[in-house]
Amino acid sequence: MTRILVIAISVLLFYLEPIFGLFSPIELNTDFYVLVPRFLIIYLIFVAVYYDRKRAMLYGLFFGLLYDVFFIDIIGLYSFIYPLMCLVASFTVKYIHQHLLVSTILTLLLVAGVELLLFLFYTSIGIKTMTFTYFYQHNLIPTMIANAVFLLMFGWAFKYILLNRFNQKALLLQK
Amino acid sequence: MPQFFSNKRLILLLVGMIFLVALISFSLRDRNHASLPEQVIKDVVGFGQSIFSKPTQYITGVFDNVESLLNTYDENKRLKVRLEDYVALQASVNDLRLENDELRKIVDKEEDLRAYNPIQATVIARNPDQWEEKIIIDKGEIHGIEVNMAVMTAQGLIGKVTLTTPYTSTVELLSTQNPNYRVSAVIAEGKEVFGLIEGYDEKRKELILKRIDSEYEVKKGQKVTTSGLGGIFPKGILIGEVTEVTTDDYGLTKLAYVKPAASFSILDHVIVSKRTITNVDGTDGGNTDADLTEGAGDGS
Repeated sequence: MTRILVIAISVLLFYLEPIFGLFSPIELNTDFYVLVPRFLIIYLIFVAVYYDRKRAMLYGLFFGLLYDVFFIDIIGLYSFIYPLMCLVASFTVKYIHQHLLVSTILTLLLVAGVELLLFLFYTSIGIKTMTFTYFYQHNLIPTMIANAVFLLMFGWAFKYILLNRFNQKALLLQK
Repeated sequence: MPQFFSNKRLILLLVGMIFLVALISFSLRDRNHASLPEQVIKDVVGFGQSIFSKPTQYITGVFDNVESLLNTYDENKRLKVRLEDYVALQASVNDLRLENDELRKIVDKEEDLRAYNPIQATVIARNPDQWEEKIIIDKGEIHGIEVNMAVMTAQGLIGKVTLTTPYTSTVELLSTQNPNYRVSAVIAEGKEVFGLIEGYDEKRKELILKRIDSEYEVKKGQKVTTSGLGGIFPKGILIGEVTEVTTDDYGLTKLAYVKPAASFSILDHVIVSKRTITNVDGTDGGNTDADLTEGAGDGS
């Protein structure tokens, strides 16, 4: 049951991202702010931290590839960034405590890393011309706030489910 | 981390990097055609996406309905004032349309740049990372959609189809920064003034209408529509309203900022227009595209 749940949540989040994307950009005082939903990578980082690094990277590769093909038509962008972030997360977590608060902060930092990498990529290949301050004010900060809200709402649930699954697997291995 | 950089892993990493760069450059080169595996993935993911997005649209529709219900009284008052004008306008439109048809029959001219077959479509996703202005709709080649068709909402033009698969298609919005994205436009008030929609001002959130002959006068508030002379878009789709007129960088032609009539932010139902007259690969499409991309490649 929990085994299917781990995959089902990632599929659900993959499909929910573009739907939340439809509400963005939002207009505040004639300025537009872009909120990018990064639910899937948040979840995958949690998978890497609490459950299994290899599995997280595999999911990252798979969903990253789907994301590349379906949305942006540049193959290799997300399918590289997603597993990379999972790898970084699992290496960092070896040196720090696995507390929920710590992993929340780590996840937010990595999401900011994803945004930054994408900013560098898109500006360097010339699809988008944007200054860093504009990106910082209109993309990065609103995105971080939106994803922090999501993380605070669901982070504990992810941790609960994944640890449950981890313990289940450990028990199976003991037998 | 000595164990991380063992020889085997290092080689694997390097090979992976090379493969990645090759893959990215390969897919960047030819982004307007989807290969067979890409099409299959797009259709499968698109099917799942439409299952998720239809209920969401229903829910947001309910919220919209409640909101418009709250505004009903004010709106009704305003509409009543305009209703009388509307009847008169409708009568004259009917009259003109009839006359137009008759005149067309007399001169034996069947084709019309304005005529198009509308295809209704639902937006199933917006590119969630929003670095590129793209939406994905739930109609594809099977429903008769082809690359470069104009896409609009009830308010006005929003973009054109850039990629099709059997069951989905990708639409690039007018608010893109793609330098090869052009729409042949006209300001038809009194005299017809032609220009090209080229580019989008990110800060002002307005389109830029370039290459207007400086002999003609363009005023603030004039309506800009598609001209139908670009070879792909039908004539007479509203694009927006002129907000400011200046001269271009070289002072040879005029340049106008156009506030788009349609909102690009929340889109759900769109109309794809299939022009009935023959399509020509003109300024709207890719005819001049080839040499322009070469120039852009040198520049960047």
